[in-house]
Amino acid sequence: MQIRLRTAAPRAGEAVALPVAQGAAVPEAFGAKAAAAGFTGAVGTMLALFTPDPVILAGTGAAATPLDFERAGGAAIAAIGDLPALVLDARGLPPDQAAAFAAGAMLRGTAQHVIRSAPSAKPPPKVELLTSGAADIVPPWRAAEAAVRGTLYARDLVTAPANDLTPASFAKWLRGLEEHGIKVTVIGPKQLRRRGFGALSAVGREAASGPRLVTLRWKGRLDARPVAFIGKGLCFDTGGISIKPAAGMEEMRADMAGAAACAGAMLALALRCSPAPAMAVLAIAENATGGDSFRPGDVLRTASGRTVEVIDTDAEGRLVLADALHHARQHRPQAMIDLATLTGSIVTALGHHRAGLFGNDAPLAAALVAAGLVVGEPLWPMPIGARHREDLASGIADIKQCAAAGSGAFGGRLLPDACHAAAFLREFAGPMPWAHLDIAGVETRAEADDLGPKGASGFRARLLDRLVAMRFEATPIGCRMAAPMRTMPSTNRSCWRPRTRHLPMARDSCC
Amino acid sequence: MADIAFTKPVLPRHGALVLLLPEEGGGGALHEAAITATEGRLSKALEAAGFKGKKGRTATLWAPGGGLSKIVAIGLGKPEDMTPEALESVGGTAWPLIAAERESVIGADALAPELAARIGSGARLRSYRFDKYRTKEKAEDKPKAERIAIATSDPTKAKAAFAPLAAIGEGIFLARDLVSEPPNILFPAEMADRCKALEKLGVVVEIMGPKEMKKLGFGALLGVAQGSVQEPRMVVMKWMGAGKSAGKTKKPAKQPLCFVGKGVTFDTGGISIKPAGGMEEMKFDMAGAGTVIGLMAALAGRKAKADVIGLVGLVENMPSGNAQRPGDVVTSYSGQTIEVINTDAEGRLVLADVLWYAQEKYDPAFMIDLATLTGAIIVALGHEHAGMFANDEELAAKLEAVGKSTGELVWRMPLGDAYDKQIKSDIADMKNVGGRPGGSITAAQFIQRFVNNKPWVHLDIAGTAWAYKDTALIPKGASAYGVRLLDRLVADHYED
Repeated sequence: MQIRLRTAAPRAGEAVALPVAQGAAVPEAFGAKAAAAGFTGAVGTMLALFTPDPVILAGTGAAATPLDFERAGGAAIAAIGDLPALVLDARGLPPDQAAAFAAGAMLRGTAQHVIRSAPSAKPPPKVELLTSGAADIVPPWRAAEAAVRGTLYARDLVTAPANDLTPASFAKWLRGLEEHGIKVTVIGPKQLRRRGFGALSAVGREAASGPRLVTLRWKGRLDARPVAFIGKGLCFDTGGISIKPAAGMEEMRADMAGAAACAGAMLALALRCSPAPAMAVLAIAENATGGDSFRPGDVLRTASGRTVEVIDTDAEGRLVLADALHHARQHRPQAMIDLATLTGSIVTALGHHRAGLFGNDAPLAAALVAAGLVVGEPLWPMPIGARHREDLASGIADIKQCAAAGSGAFGGRLLPDACHAAAFLREFAGPMPWAHLDIAGVETRAEADDLGPKGASGFRARLLDRLVAMRFEATPIGCRMAAPMRTMPSTNRSCWRPRTRHLPMARDSCC
Repeated sequence: MADIAFTKPVLPRHGALVLLLPEEGGGGALHEAAITATEGRLSKALEAAGFKGKKGRTATLWAPGGGLSKIVAIGLGKPEDMTPEALESVGGTAWPLIAAERESVIGADALAPELAARIGSGARLRSYRFDKYRTKEKAEDKPKAERIAIATSDPTKAKAAFAPLAAIGEGIFLARDLVSEPPNILFPAEMADRCKALEKLGVVVEIMGPKEMKKLGFGALLGVAQGSVQEPRMVVMKWMGAGKSAGKTKKPAKQPLCFVGKGVTFDTGGISIKPAGGMEEMKFDMAGAGTVIGLMAALAGRKAKADVIGLVGLVENMPSGNAQRPGDVVTSYSGQTIEVINTDAEGRLVLADVLWYAQEKYDPAFMIDLATLTGAIIVALGHEHAGMFANDEELAAKLEAVGKSTGELVWRMPLGDAYDKQIKSDIADMKNVGGRPGGSITAAQFIQRFVNNKPWVHLDIAGTAWAYKDTALIPKGASAYGVRLLDRLVADHYED
């Protein structure tokens, strides 16, 4: 789905969506109808009317945050039924709110990718954003749309079944980002083994398609160290030798949602030509079970040199992240944020409404929480206690990958595995500012809501994009910038103009 | 459990001597005396052992001369390490090293007398032992310590500073005793009877049985209790300490502080029965109540200048022909109806009625409930932090702060409408479980439905009520988590 800008007033017969603030007067023509239907303009509520032209009133609430306007746009598009087109009437709104209104419609209105033998005959609706003067709307819409496109990119990756999205094809898919000016480097299975990525190699070696470590780089324009995103990209996770129960295993195709969110965020940064340098390191593998699988009890030598005792081959995410974090550190980023559908424990802890946030840097964590609130993808801080690290003491290696099953409370069943995983990852993050987002439980929507259809959510792509906008696009601080990397020329002035058909309004050069 | 005494710093002629040595030197007069008495061997031995006074490091010198059986050196670290709480832990660290000695002296003469009192308190807290059911323990396996003397420059001052700490210690020991007792001994009626011990401290104790609770309409609590032959109880403990020393002019009565504890003396899970492995641990499913009772003893024991009411709901959750079933709908004291989906989510049912009663009857300034409520909080946080849910930012911030200073840590967990939706019921006002995702949060949402516009905090202590290994102040076993935390909350913020 794409959204075009227009300034021409709606013609007779065109369907129009009107944002209505709570407490504000409903336009006179609809006042009586709204009152009869009990429509007050609360966020997420809408009222479809026929006057006789179709009109959808979308509530934006009283607070009028961008998120409220996004939800209103989403509610509006969800109500169009079989209408072939919709005009989002944002005349009179400040540009930020107008852009948010359209962004919400795009997030909710873009259908999930499906693989059917007979494709749907119905084309996606034609949606236009109507503003009074187009000039002001261009920059905010450009930024909002970039973030939405990043989210949709992540959704498509998460939706793709594991027989389509193997580690090899995932890497190939990511190559497509090159056309947006992102530099893509892929380290294949052989090189990984040779270069000592012992953890990622062990996890991925049994699968027919071997593991990949993909690095995406966006140069930006600032003379600064990059911010690094590190993503877990398990194309499928059987659990390996510690095999998962059959029920629900099909959901494990989404075990690459962390990598997808990182890639989506990189796309968003590129599409809106962010000045901030950024990189993503994606650990891509399939955890298969077979004669060459790694085993519980194995000791792996990670890329950092640290040795890890494997306890449970189904806790493979932290292993591949250990190598990816180490690889990211070699680029001396100013901050590292890793994303992973890591533990069932975080779902037990926080459910499906918040992702777990761990880390070693309070300002970075606070910025992430703030960014999450803005985009409606909330995070909740979780602890890494001294006990959590103690529980990982190994008799044979530097560290255990997780606490042994049966070592917990109440007959051994209850273990704080999300905290253990974070304590494990902290060892590989080292001293630099680092945050870990355990996004298990939020990678898919069980039901449609205002900001997305049922299915892959693409969550945290927008969050990362927003984090960069809020924290890393100002002039960088301090002496860390003294020695810019060779690969990051500070004089870059060119910006790829993306060429995909999705690209709406590349009317002006962005950089 | 050893007696703690405070004496002038005089070198003992027998037994053990514990020296507390800061990194920067200056171990006090006893340290000097010990060096002289051992003709310098002490200093040499410590040097050989690489002991430099680092925080928490210890070194032992056997038969050092002068009649002593041993000298134990414990490092205090740097001046900024020597907080009252850290020194309490030092006292705890000392205990296992001197437990086998009949008499010991701990040299705290280089510390202020108030801090010497902390050393004594720590040693005493760690010396706790629940051994009443060991009939054939060999003498050499038992600790022999009878008296621990803390040497200080001003014993009178130290003794005065120790008195309130000892009262808190008594509260902690009471809570540990209650939690440690096996469930065939400690059933609801017995636990209620033991609350009467608080009367001699000046606490007014009121006990309600099933008849009274039925009359009031405690449908949620009674539903849980109905499967057991043991009758339920609710105990209300009142300590009205505010304004007592203010002479004859009576101040206007302040709203009391309410602490509410879950007291399931044994939890089989009921008809939704638990798996057998680890079920014995369910004797401590009354730890919330144990903590509230211990807290009341601590506050009354040290004559806290605050009006505090502790309420505990005591039941046993058993499967039987008369037990509550999944699918039952019960009417709580608040009037709200509850569909029971899982009879093993019984703690929240008990708390629902007791919390509502606390608000109806006492109009408290705030309510804090403690409960070993969910396994999910262990999966979420482990055993260092209790899960804290709050509807009041100020109270939550105070608890976070006193948690850090007492070492009884809390970690804030979220509440929200999205979670509340998980406990919607098709037949009643709510159901008693919301599924695995966010299990502790939906439990807290359930409890919040019984909070009637009062500042409220819920502490899920399932992970912290039991120490699975020794720590500085807690021998393996019942931790009495919450007594120190809440005593300090009252002391720091709510006393006249």
